[in-house]
Amino acid sequence: MRESSSALRALDGVEVVEAGPASKVLDLLDGVDAVVLVDAVRTSDGGRQPGELVRAEAGPSGLPAAIGSSLSSHGFGVADAVALAAALGRMPRVVFFGVEAAGVTMGQRLSPEVENALPQLVARIVEEAAALAEDREP
Amino acid sequence: MTHRSVEVPVIARVEGEGALHIKVEDEKITDLRLEIYEPPRFFEAFLVGRHYSEVPDVVARICGICPVAYQMSAAHGLERLFDVQLSPGTRELRRILYCGEYIESHVLHIFLLAAPDFLGYDDAIQLAADKPDIVKMALEMKRIGNDIMATIGGREIHPVSARVGGFSKAPRPKDLRAFLPRLEWALAQMPAIADLVGSIPKPPFDRPAEMVSMVHPDEYPLNEGGLASTEGKSFDSTTFEEVTQELHVEHSNALHSLMVGTDTPYFVGPLARVNLNVDRLTPVARECLPRTGLSLPEPDPFFSMSARVVETAVAIEEAIRLISAYEPPEPSMAEVTPKAGRAMWVTEAPRGTLYHRYDVNEDGTIREAKIVPPTAQNFEHMEADLRQFLPGVLDRPDEELTRLCEMVVRNYDPCISCATHFLRLEIER
Repeated sequence: MRESSSALRALDGVEVVEAGPASKVLDLLDGVDAVVLVDAVRTSDGGRQPGELVRAEAGPSGLPAAIGSSLSSHGFGVADAVALAAALGRMPRVVFFGVEAAGVTMGQRLSPEVENALPQLVARIVEEAAALAEDREP
Repeated sequence: MTHRSVEVPVIARVEGEGALHIKVEDEKITDLRLEIYEPPRFFEAFLVGRHYSEVPDVVARICGICPVAYQMSAAHGLERLFDVQLSPGTRELRRILYCGEYIESHVLHIFLLAAPDFLGYDDAIQLAADKPDIVKMALEMKRIGNDIMATIGGREIHPVSARVGGFSKAPRPKDLRAFLPRLEWALAQMPAIADLVGSIPKPPFDRPAEMVSMVHPDEYPLNEGGLASTEGKSFDSTTFEEVTQELHVEHSNALHSLMVGTDTPYFVGPLARVNLNVDRLTPVARECLPRTGLSLPEPDPFFSMSARVVETAVAIEEAIRLISAYEPPEPSMAEVTPKAGRAMWVTEAPRGTLYHRYDVNEDGTIREAKIVPPTAQNFEHMEADLRQFLPGVLDRPDEELTRLCEMVVRNYDPCISCATHFLRLEIER
């Protein structure tokens, strides 16, 4: 988080927010041009390897269903927040990056696979944010 | 032999992860389990050895929706043990912060988690597509609560300014007074919201229940007061563990609560609070009460949404009153000298009574912690409700039956993440 923060803060008009519960994501989608969402994902059929990165863009009704189902739903999940913004006609451009989690057992440590994926993830986020910042209306 | 089953592997529109397993054979319930498989997070364990000053920061992370409740129960309890003299204005500022949390939490639940069921939509997205104005209004109202918490707490999530002794930094009066127009707007919406909720038919569910909440002689209880139950019990934070008990349940990572002696369930939350504190309602809240369809006493959990509407009005009115008179506590942080002993306190989180107990060492470090969240206290009652509710609706088709069972659980606005913070680990050597 910290490495990406300094690179991202150097970009004009880019804010880095740790969103916590997905109900906060709702507020964060409001009044902005574009959002890069980053979260852990877990595909139930084991289709992705731990540490694997996935990128998706939200369509007119929200994030692709495959992404939505791999995010944990906490009352009002990230996918719900994006879909709600879409239903209200006020969804910004949303790019989603997911990192496949190795497991969701107890404990605070990142798995080695996810940890190894972080530098690449950070680079891609910075690239994406820079592209979105350039694209946006002056 | 007829077999029906209700299987909900992931209960939607509740915070956290749980499943519902119900089996009915020939009209008899043979299996009923609210399985909480959200992994436990051992908060009580990793509070041990920490300095008391770290406690508000750590416990705020138990819940992303109600961090203030955790910080308040912890701070007040430790302050009483340490005999801290809070600066005048601290308790008022804390109350405003708590009101912000009530607005944010209740509005989220009323409109995005509960309303879809009651209005006949599959989910909040469908509701938003069909009635965007209602949802936009709700989001704007929720935002006010979030913004109040950010202004006082110093950060959007997990308020950093709340400390044992007060606040590391108090907002300027003009920064809080800037909320008044928005709060007045919100208050103006309440009667119509009350009418809307009052017009929604609710499944009939007539069953007795013991409700528990805090009570206070002068105000609607949030941070301070004693405890009461609708069965006439009267106790407080110092006797909480004598009057109630927690027990392990095999099918759940969350503990359940019962009354000591009778081994009977009870429930906490907005409905309990409104029932026990009707004389402390603020004016607009009092006006909204009958409009929401509530007629007290009312133990029917399907009226929880009505109670949340009434409480949203209380929170808005209290925020307006306190912000209008707000003067920053000076100093924002009182002096704190730790003492050894047992700190206990209850506050009313949006979902109900939240109890904290800390056994503190001479040097101010925590020796043991016990936290009983409202949702954990409600689990036993959720299962009891399901058992009593089901026989009356067995004639419904499967999909409707499943939906109704989920609604029974959602009435309690459970925060499963809070409820699974603890699991006792026994290591045999």
